[in-house]
Amino acid sequence: MPAPEFIRNFSIIAHIDHGKSTLADRLMERTGTVSLREMKAQLLDDMDLERQRGITIKARAVAMYHDHGGSTYELNLIDTPGHVDFQYEVSRSLTCCEGAVLLVDAFQGVEAQTVANAYAAMEHELTIVPVINKIDLTHARPDEVKLEMVQSLAIDPDEVLGCSAKTGEGCETILDAIITRIPPPKGDPQAPLQAMVFDSHYDEFRGAITYIRLMNGTISKGQRIKFLQTNTTYEVLELGQFRPGRIARDMLSAGQVGYLICGIKSLSHVHIGDTISSPQGTGRPLPGYKKPKRMVFCGLYPSDGQDFEELRDALARLAINDPSFEFEPETSDALGFGFRCGFLGLLHMEIIQQRLEQEADIDLVQTAPNVTYEIDTKDGRTLEIHTPTRVPDMGQIEEFRQPIVRINFVLPTEYIGPVMKLCTDRHGIYVRTEYLSPTRAMLVYDLALADVIYDMHDKLKSATRGYGTMDYELIGHFPADLVRLDILIKGERVDALSIVCDRREADSRGRAIIKKLRKTIDRHLFEIPLQAAIGSRIIARETISAMRKNVTAKCYGGDITRKRKLWAKQKEGKKRMKSIGQVDIPQKAFLAVLETGEK
Amino acid sequence: MSDHPLIPPRAAYVHVPFCDRKCGYCNFTAIAGRDGWIDRYLRAIEIELSWLGESQEVDTLYFGGGTPSHLAAGQLARLFDTVLRWFPLADGSEWTVEANPNDLDAERSAVLAEYGVNRISVGAQSFDEWKLNQLERNHRGADIRRAADVVRSIDADLAIDLIFAVPKSRSGGSSAWSTEMGETFATWQRDLDSAIELAPDHLSVYGLTIERGSAFYGRRVRGDLVELPEEIQRAMVLEAIDRLTAAGYEHYEISNFARWLHRKEGTEDTRMAGSQFQRSARSRHNQIYWQGAPYHAAGPGAARYVHGCRETNHRSTAKYLQRVLDGQSPVAEWEMLDPESRAREMLVLALRQMDGISRDDFSNRTGFILDDLVRPAIRRFIELGFLADDGEKIRLTREGLLISDALWPEFL
Repeated sequence: MPAPEFIRNFSIIAHIDHGKSTLADRLMERTGTVSLREMKAQLLDDMDLERQRGITIKARAVAMYHDHGGSTYELNLIDTPGHVDFQYEVSRSLTCCEGAVLLVDAFQGVEAQTVANAYAAMEHELTIVPVINKIDLTHARPDEVKLEMVQSLAIDPDEVLGCSAKTGEGCETILDAIITRIPPPKGDPQAPLQAMVFDSHYDEFRGAITYIRLMNGTISKGQRIKFLQTNTTYEVLELGQFRPGRIARDMLSAGQVGYLICGIKSLSHVHIGDTISSPQGTGRPLPGYKKPKRMVFCGLYPSDGQDFEELRDALARLAINDPSFEFEPETSDALGFGFRCGFLGLLHMEIIQQRLEQEADIDLVQTAPNVTYEIDTKDGRTLEIHTPTRVPDMGQIEEFRQPIVRINFVLPTEYIGPVMKLCTDRHGIYVRTEYLSPTRAMLVYDLALADVIYDMHDKLKSATRGYGTMDYELIGHFPADLVRLDILIKGERVDALSIVCDRREADSRGRAIIKKLRKTIDRHLFEIPLQAAIGSRIIARETISAMRKNVTAKCYGGDITRKRKLWAKQKEGKKRMKSIGQVDIPQKAFLAVLETGEK
Repeated sequence: MSDHPLIPPRAAYVHVPFCDRKCGYCNFTAIAGRDGWIDRYLRAIEIELSWLGESQEVDTLYFGGGTPSHLAAGQLARLFDTVLRWFPLADGSEWTVEANPNDLDAERSAVLAEYGVNRISVGAQSFDEWKLNQLERNHRGADIRRAADVVRSIDADLAIDLIFAVPKSRSGGSSAWSTEMGETFATWQRDLDSAIELAPDHLSVYGLTIERGSAFYGRRVRGDLVELPEEIQRAMVLEAIDRLTAAGYEHYEISNFARWLHRKEGTEDTRMAGSQFQRSARSRHNQIYWQGAPYHAAGPGAARYVHGCRETNHRSTAKYLQRVLDGQSPVAEWEMLDPESRAREMLVLALRQMDGISRDDFSNRTGFILDDLVRPAIRRFIELGFLADDGEKIRLTREGLLISDALWPEFL
């Protein structure tokens, strides 16, 4: 077991596609953790498992051994998710490291995630090892990229290394820099046990696999441990390291990274950021713990009310694997019985929906995603609102607050204008512009999360021909002039179609939504008035005219079967829709409220 | 009860797929330029009918197509010989043959007269040059009048088909829709007047629908054809009903109209007019379909309903011939309806008839109580003004007729 001075804990941070996994693979190969042949086999194994279980299994914490200056060092590479949805998880992983390799593509240069991740690492006081990757590319522009790193992140140009993760060029130097530049962990093996839970995954045979970094003390097989936040006690059935497969050990000590198996049946009992100590209660909880914060909510309803229980079971199965996803039953006048589901972000929502589709054969109606609002009422209560229809009448609202994010755009300077317009159209507040180089800039705005989650990424890509990147972080809930916009179909308010929006946009949103609904809902035998309203004030109106003629007068020979099959098909199609006040509403209509009223 | 589905059929349909050309709107089993197959077809009909085992007397016999009159006189005679051997006609029976206006020459009409065809359905479609062209018909308005005279001369009932709401084409090469050409409301009024002037005994009036499997379907998908606006089509339906009713025709089914004529022996729908007996020129054969009664069938794409089983022969003529001549069944699809589905289907078919259906009739024929089966749908459609209910009978209203296709799925 190495003493702390022979341990280095680090992560690799990079923008997507800048070569993070390739570098990780190369480092594992160079340190003899896996051979090239094994790596291929390993990858295949992982993909098989992925296929079987529908989840991504990756070596998220690998222990490698490297000789340097006559000593053997244990290098723990801790992987961090790159996406903004998982910021809290990133922050917990970074807490377990003393340093980070900051990897930048020699052609693409500094991107929004590079900046966001580098800032996060700096805020955690990690030592940065700056590396430019893909220096062997024909279009590589390492000098300019180095300049961008200096300008945007105040990196010392003399410290920047170059490598090609693909060929392995420069990887030896990176390993040396990890050992010489990144400080060893500070922990004391003699102190009371304190270990940070930074990740977990579910193994169908062993239950929860808990990923830990020991801050102080030691932990041994058979020992009893306590999760301080959840206040639960378990016996350690197995512990060990990832190399990259699980290798059992008898003991782990301060500074080390590894896993625990305690026979925990659901991941919902393992909280990221929790502290593990001994049941005697001598270790203090580590700072920075937060409960997972769901940022985006949507309603999921079975098309056929009979599938309610089946949907509940499917959601419960998903929650075992992913505790950051939550759901609770809710009832909608329009949609019947279903669930309000909370996600870390939009990507997370899409992942969960995909799994649901793969794993359960249930026809679903999804309502448009929304963020969490805070409302102070006139009678002094504070409400947290996950469903627009729960927003009380305007007269009862003292203050209406919405989540605001600070968003960084990194883009070629010629696109600054279009992106600024994108932000001002959404009532964004300009924060600053930084020039990373003569041709690239970082633009910072504060924007309502609600305006960002739906289509900001697509809009950015189209405004910058794909060259712009973005990243954001929640800065809090702030007061705004918000209203609940209701949609009435044939005079009835359809709760599942209500949205919260900025008062200044209510008219154009209202018009856009009902225009979209008019196209989405088929004509019926009667006229269907569509209205958008704020309180009792109607702000937009459209009418779906009644079907006036629908008679195929052919007497269809004697082939009645053919005709009847057609009728049966029409009837079946109607069954899959939701019927509200005799109006059959197709599933896609419930997403019509995402219409922004822009071109 | 002669119309119960489980008793032996008293009606037969024979499909003749051959045509001079295939019209753009047609999605029936029809083939053009394959006259070389007619001989094999006649043999196939002989074989298919021989599988009946014993002859079946019928009250109605119907030759549809395709174009039955496309067969030469000798071929027609051979077909009639075969069919009558297996489906001998009862006294007072109705025998219809569909005919193209151009085909009724002396030889063919002699055969029709000799065998005793007493109802000829002429595929007129329109008297208007532009419409006939657009429909890709090979006859002109004058041909229809000549054909009508031939029908009269052999003392058969004259039935004609008319089509309205013919779609417009994108005019050649330009992206604009031709404005001066195309069917207008006035065109349709002229067609109705021409038809009335011809004084047929029976009229079938169809709004053109573009069905899958027709050449028009592809053209519409490509944007080369555009349908008339709904409001005009609606006005055209109502105009047909009003003009034909005013001219003395009885509107007895969604798209069918019949005159009252001097009585012939043994017919069913009769009435006293003054001191005279009259009979209705309604199509007795088509009423069999609308009553949910059974019928035999032969030929490619033909559908039969025998002993509660609905069967459809293969719609491809080549496949039909191959199968039958190989001694194999030509049936491509079949289904046996359970009593409830049969009752629901019967309701839909019966409601196509303007008389509607009486509750007693329905329960006598199906064993189900109408209101138990479909009360919510009936109540809704009465509220919306699409059905009328006098406590005994329910029937389509004028508004209901106009959107009737949207009602049917609700009854299934």
